[in-house]
Amino acid sequence: MTHDFAVLQLSGCSGCEVSLLNAEDWIGQRQLRYMPLVLTSDDLPPVHTLLVSGAVYTEDDLYRLTKAAKRAEQIIAVGTCAISGGVANLGTREQAHRALFDDVERRHLPRILPKLRPVDAVVPVTRYLPGCPPTPELFMAALFEEDGFKPNKTVCQDCGRKKTRDRPSTLLCSQCGEVDPDICLINQGYLCIGSSTRGGCGAPCTRAGHPCVGCRGPSNGFISRSSEQWFAAIERVFAKMTDIPPEQIAKALRSPELALFVFQFADYAATPRDVDKVL
Amino acid sequence: MAQLTIPLSRIEGHARVTIQFVGSRVLSAHFQATEMRGFEHFVLGAPAQQMPVIVPRICGVCSTAHHVASVKALESAYGVTPPPQAVRIRELMMLGQLIQNQATSLFIFTMPDLPGSEGVPSLFHFDSADSEIAPKALQVRRGGTRLITLAGGQFIHPVRAVLGGVTSGLARQRCDAMRQEMIDLLPMAEELLERYWELFAGLEDRISTLGDDTPTYYLAAVSPGHAYYGGPIRVLAPNGEEQAAFEADAYSKYLTEVPTEGSYSDGTLFRDELLRANSLARLNMLPELGTPRAEYWMQRFRQDWGYPAHAILLFDLARGIELVYAIERAIELLRRDLSNGDMRVAHVPRDGEGWGVVEAPRGPLIHHYTIREGLVEEARFVIPTQHNIFAIERALRVAAERYITPQGISLELERAVGRVVRAFDPCIACATH
Repeated sequence: MTHDFAVLQLSGCSGCEVSLLNAEDWIGQRQLRYMPLVLTSDDLPPVHTLLVSGAVYTEDDLYRLTKAAKRAEQIIAVGTCAISGGVANLGTREQAHRALFDDVERRHLPRILPKLRPVDAVVPVTRYLPGCPPTPELFMAALFEEDGFKPNKTVCQDCGRKKTRDRPSTLLCSQCGEVDPDICLINQGYLCIGSSTRGGCGAPCTRAGHPCVGCRGPSNGFISRSSEQWFAAIERVFAKMTDIPPEQIAKALRSPELALFVFQFADYAATPRDVDKVL
Repeated sequence: MAQLTIPLSRIEGHARVTIQFVGSRVLSAHFQATEMRGFEHFVLGAPAQQMPVIVPRICGVCSTAHHVASVKALESAYGVTPPPQAVRIRELMMLGQLIQNQATSLFIFTMPDLPGSEGVPSLFHFDSADSEIAPKALQVRRGGTRLITLAGGQFIHPVRAVLGGVTSGLARQRCDAMRQEMIDLLPMAEELLERYWELFAGLEDRISTLGDDTPTYYLAAVSPGHAYYGGPIRVLAPNGEEQAAFEADAYSKYLTEVPTEGSYSDGTLFRDELLRANSLARLNMLPELGTPRAEYWMQRFRQDWGYPAHAILLFDLARGIELVYAIERAIELLRRDLSNGDMRVAHVPRDGEGWGVVEAPRGPLIHHYTIREGLVEEARFVIPTQHNIFAIERALRVAAERYITPQGISLELERAVGRVVRAFDPCIACATH
């Protein structure tokens, strides 16, 4: 397996690239042909695997993606932005979007597209590697274990916090209260959605005491379903484990507080994706 | 009139340089950020307390700085002071970020510019005598990421800092292991820096300059002691005299954000004067760093280039000295028991305005929020790269004038443009936030 690869960065934060650099074991095993962050090269040469990070946000993104896709045998969409728009997708909320366009009156620059798009709305994608960003281990799996990689089903299974019989009756905001280091965050009253978020990340956030915000996207069962079905499943988890009034959970899930992250799931429902293609 | 457009690589994000000239007369040189993030718009209406986990997504390279600036802004709005243990853990995160960033900038971005007659395309292209650079450089930068992971929770977008403190302490055993890792990394970082210093001298011999631009004002939010957690913002004149010192809430009295037509990034001016932030600004502002190995390198630096020092390419060497400092300071902090003690103070939410500043790897980063009924009503991010925009453009013009001559355009121009821009280590995702 000596396929070469390239990294095309669209509109994003470079976090995916930083994570890829942390997965340094690929060096010497796969030839990196193009990645402007680390490599000066004039153009993207024909290449076996193209990793695309970031969302299609400007006309420049659209042009570069379309051009690069023709030179690659397979494309892996990397990170939440490439797969569903990520945090940048907030820019399409009506009010924010208007404000953004008012500000964009600069000249001789790539224009912002009317609507941000995930990569597979523009070119065919062979595989998906979700996460904000994906861990170095996931990058290694994407580059080397084309079929054999089987992550845990959910973040919950990665997490390792102890579930108890405690049934909290109040919902805590994610930044409130003293977090017990060992007990399940749901048992402590936090709105953690790790129970239906795709596993494989090793649950660094919940281990550090922050509820899962779902950056790896939905677990297999929810990839091709609507976000309403996915919300309903989270509501069931809370009904089973807590005495928090169900309407509070329902409201919180749809509130800006979590919507800022849950928006990521919108595109999963709009564009059904083959579960087998998602790492 | 002719125009050259020079694409840029080995920097964070998407940007280009355009140079306009007639004959050998340079009319303008512009540094253009060609991407746009838009966070000031899309965080409107977000719950204020959620900001520390949203804003790291502005930039995966500078995420820790945004995370910490954000909790500081919230603490300013709600009038709370985090306990000392929490501040130490946050400083560790910032040091992890500094290690990761300075190693990336030095070894991945700028070191390939140094060898031979025209540099190499990347750190993977050094010749066999220097084949150890790439694996060692990546190991050092990964040490920084691992420190962020330990102190910050998540490995790119940290979660541990919260309004009033941190979610939890750091297990003793993990701190001990990390401390040992830092102890092991220190000689490796110094060995890389030594080699960098040699190659740097070779570059100076080859191009006979380290930057001819005249000095500017310097901007940094560093104080002796815990230098990089972010103190008062200070401005230094080119002769080394302090011109102003102010807290984050007064930034708009001193710093003006100027929109630029051909770039998605604004620039910053101090009373109409150009500014330079980043490593050299800090070293010009700090009489000493306070850790032994960093002090050795700083003395060597000052012997060679004076104090304050001004040549632009010295920003690169200064980052190397900070890399050594950050590792040493992390070793110091990790000696303490950070597993227990007060980690967090309570707060009462209220409407109001808050300002937070940290000294990010590229300079002072300011977050400014207006909060109403728990939601963000207005958010401003004043970004370190913005502070450097006009200094970058003036330095580019100087380089263009040097290499566009009546004899023609020297092939060195494109390399010089790359070196000038990389010396300031701009971050475009942040600059266009």
